[in-house]
Amino acid sequence: MTAPASADAQQGAVLSPDDVRTLTEEVWSTFLGHTAPFTAAEARAFTPTWAASVTVKGEWNGMVSMQLTGVGAHRLTCGMLGMDPESDEPSEADVVDAVGELVNMVGGNVKSLVPGPSQLSLPLVATGQFAHGSDQQEIVRLDFAWGDEPVSLTVHSGSPAVSKVNR
Amino acid sequence: MKILVVDDSRVMRQIVIRTLRQSGYAGHDVVEAENGLRAVEMVATEKPDLVLSDWNMPEMNGIDALAHLRASGSEVPFGFVTSEGSEEMRARAAAAGALFLIAKPFTPELFDEALSAVLPRA
Repeated sequence: MTAPASADAQQGAVLSPDDVRTLTEEVWSTFLGHTAPFTAAEARAFTPTWAASVTVKGEWNGMVSMQLTGVGAHRLTCGMLGMDPESDEPSEADVVDAVGELVNMVGGNVKSLVPGPSQLSLPLVATGQFAHGSDQQEIVRLDFAWGDEPVSLTVHSGSPAVSKVNR
Repeated sequence: MKILVVDDSRVMRQIVIRTLRQSGYAGHDVVEAENGLRAVEMVATEKPDLVLSDWNMPEMNGIDALAHLRASGSEVPFGFVTSEGSEEMRARAAAAGALFLIAKPFTPELFDEALSAVLPRA
């Protein structure tokens, strides 16, 4: 009798980085294709000013997070709202909204790729970056260059500690 | 005719409204709601001819809003515009009485494909 694969292995095996890259590029090109080229890039160290995440809970548990600079978040917001990034100044509420919606779209598409049923959370947006506990394992990390701005996207599998308490 | 656009993201409501224009439906009136609860209220007061709703929202999500509408006797045409386009979600949407589910990211062509059977171009 074959031993069942470990839960960790099952969590990690379901997602291919190429699939996540393709869907992220599709989201970007649809809503921000008129701005600057968005291309896969070498990992580049940067201190994110904004981070957004959504979690998937259910048959598959994980978190999709996006990190970007202040300039990147500003341009993203202007691009989605049809504003001029050189002269317009979106409100902080609009930045939170736009960055959250971007990660929500990527997360919703990731949810479609992993085993269900599961629930997608509302997006959580923060200044800085999210820390991940030892119960969460990074299974995908993608780095992009959007014009001159770095954007990184990560997928962690495993439940956040808080949801484990609630089980 | 009147379209009710429901999404907790103001940015996404703007994008949906822009896409309606780009897909040939610029002449219809548009009203907005930020969650399912508000949408249920506005269907009663605004009497839209079509509801375009996100799924995942605070206060009341889109599928619960649709269930409330149908339970109260409303037959308003209802379609989802959501980031979750799996077969499971499409089946749940159809079973609840939704006419279509447009997955984000979407194009004006996809909007026209879904809306042309419900609304005249204007």
